[in-house]
Amino acid sequence: MKTILLGLFLSITALAQTPGPQERNIEKPAVKAGPMPRGTDGKPDFQGVWEVRNPGGAAAYDVEDHLKEVYGIRPGKGVIVDPKDGKIPYLPAAAQRKQDLVAHHMYDDPEAQCFLSGIPRQVYAPFGFQILQPAHYVLFLFENFHAYRVIPTDGRPHLPADIKTFDGDSRGRWDGDTLVVDVTNQNDKTWFDMAGNFHSDAIHVVERYTPVDANTISYKATIEDPKTFTRPWTIAFPITRITRPDYEIMELACVEGERDLKHYTEGEGGANKK
Amino acid sequence: MINRPLFLLIAAIPALAQPYRAPRTANGQPDLQGIWQAQTTASYDIEAHAAKLGMPAGLGIVVGGQIPYTAEAAAKRRQNFQNRATADPNNKCFLPGVPRANYLPLPFQIFQTTKDVAILYEYVHAYRLIRMDGKHPEDVDFWMGDSRGHWDGDTLVVDVSDNNDQTWLDASGNFHSDALHVVERYTRTGPDTIGYEATIEDPKVFTKPWKISLSLYRQTGKNLQLMEYDCYAYEEPSK
Repeated sequence: MKTILLGLFLSITALAQTPGPQERNIEKPAVKAGPMPRGTDGKPDFQGVWEVRNPGGAAAYDVEDHLKEVYGIRPGKGVIVDPKDGKIPYLPAAAQRKQDLVAHHMYDDPEAQCFLSGIPRQVYAPFGFQILQPAHYVLFLFENFHAYRVIPTDGRPHLPADIKTFDGDSRGRWDGDTLVVDVTNQNDKTWFDMAGNFHSDAIHVVERYTPVDANTISYKATIEDPKTFTRPWTIAFPITRITRPDYEIMELACVEGERDLKHYTEGEGGANKK
Repeated sequence: MINRPLFLLIAAIPALAQPYRAPRTANGQPDLQGIWQAQTTASYDIEAHAAKLGMPAGLGIVVGGQIPYTAEAAAKRRQNFQNRATADPNNKCFLPGVPRANYLPLPFQIFQTTKDVAILYEYVHAYRLIRMDGKHPEDVDFWMGDSRGHWDGDTLVVDVSDNNDQTWLDASGNFHSDALHVVERYTRTGPDTIGYEATIEDPKVFTKPWKISLSLYRQTGKNLQLMEYDCYAYEEPSK
C-alpha cells in the first residue's frame, strides 16, 4: 500500500507543479475579450494555445464531485451536468467494478503507464494544448504525452468499427458556430480520471466546442456506453485561452522518463529500499 | 511571318527545363500537405550497407557515402552497433528525434496553417510544430528538438536545434550528441514527391557537416489517415 500511495503522490506532485494561470497570463486583459475570430471559411477560428483551469481542471482527478480527499485526490467539484446529481449512471455491475478499482487498483491508472488518455480525458488532462485549423481539419496538439488529435471535417466515414484505439477516431462537423466532434473506435483501456471511473469499448462520445468570446470555448461532451452506463451523461466546462503572447507549448515525453512504474511493479520496499 | 510550330517548340524548351512548381495553399505557400512516407532501408542504416540478418541491404542516404565521425565517435558507433538490440532508443518506443522520424517505415502527415507547419508522425504519436517565427529557446532540450522554419522560394527550410543526446540516426547505432544541429530542406519535386535534404552538424561527433538526401512519397488513396501507434502500450510492463 505504501508503494501505491507513493506512486500516486508522485503523480499529484507533477500536477501540483503545473505552471498556474498566473505564470501563463502575466497580463490580465484590461477589457472584456471580443468575439472569437473567424477564419477565411467563415467558421470560428479556435487557433491558439488553450488550457482547462478549474472548474474543469478538477476533472483530471475525478469527474464526479469528490468532497473528501481519497488517495491524494484533492477535493473538488465534478464536471457532470447531466444527470443532475452529478454522478456517473453506472450499471450495477459497473458500479461494483468502480468500487473494486478504487479499493484495489488505483495504481492501474492507464496514464501512470504513459498510455494515451482517451477522449474526453485528453482534453482536461493537465498542461496546455494548441489548436490548429489547416484546410479540412482541426488539429489538437497536446503537451501531455505529446498526444495529438487529427479531426477531419470533410465528412469522411469513421474507421471500421472493429479497429479500437486509445484516443479513438474523431470526425468533426460544424453546427452553426459549434464544432461537433463524433468520437468512436475507442478501446476499453482508458479511464476518465485518476479516480478509476471507466468505460468499455462501446463508448461513444460527442463533443461540442462552442465559442463564448475570443478567450473562451464552452466544452460539452455527452458520453454513452450501454455496456457500462444506464443512460448517456454529459460533462461541461470552459476551455480558456493562454493569453501570454510568447507562450509556446513544450514537449512532455512520458515513457522516456518513466520512473513510477518501478514503484508499481517492484512491490513493498522494492524501489524505495535505501 | 513567324513559323508557328517552330515558335511553339522554342517557347516550350525553357518550360521543360523549369523545376516542378508546387501548387499553392489558399494563402499562397507552396503546398506540402499530405501523408508522406520514405521508401528506403535507411531506418536500418543510413550508410550504404549489405544485407545481414534482419536487415535488408540499402544504398543509404548519406551524401558522399560515409559519415565523417571523429575517431572516438567511430568507436562509439561500432559499440552501439554491437549493442543495438537493447541500446536502440526506438526499441524502447522513445521519441525518435529528427531526422530519423522522417525515414522510419511509417507515414507522417504535413499540415499548413496561415502561420505554421505541423508534422504529425504515426510512430509513437510524435509531432513537431514548426514555428515560422520566434527563436529557439535557450537552456532546454527536447527529444524532437525545437523547429523554426522559413520559406526559401519553394523550399521549406527548417532549423532544428535544442536536441538531446538520447536519440539515434538509425537502427545501426549511428548517433549524435546534444550539440546536434540539423537544417532540413523540403522541396516538392512532383505531384506526389518531396525532395528531402538535411545538413547535420555536431562538432562533438563529426569532423565536418554532412548531408542526407532522400525522396518522400505521397500515400494516395481514398480517406487515408494516420493510424494510432502507441508503441509502448503493447509491451509487457518491465518487471
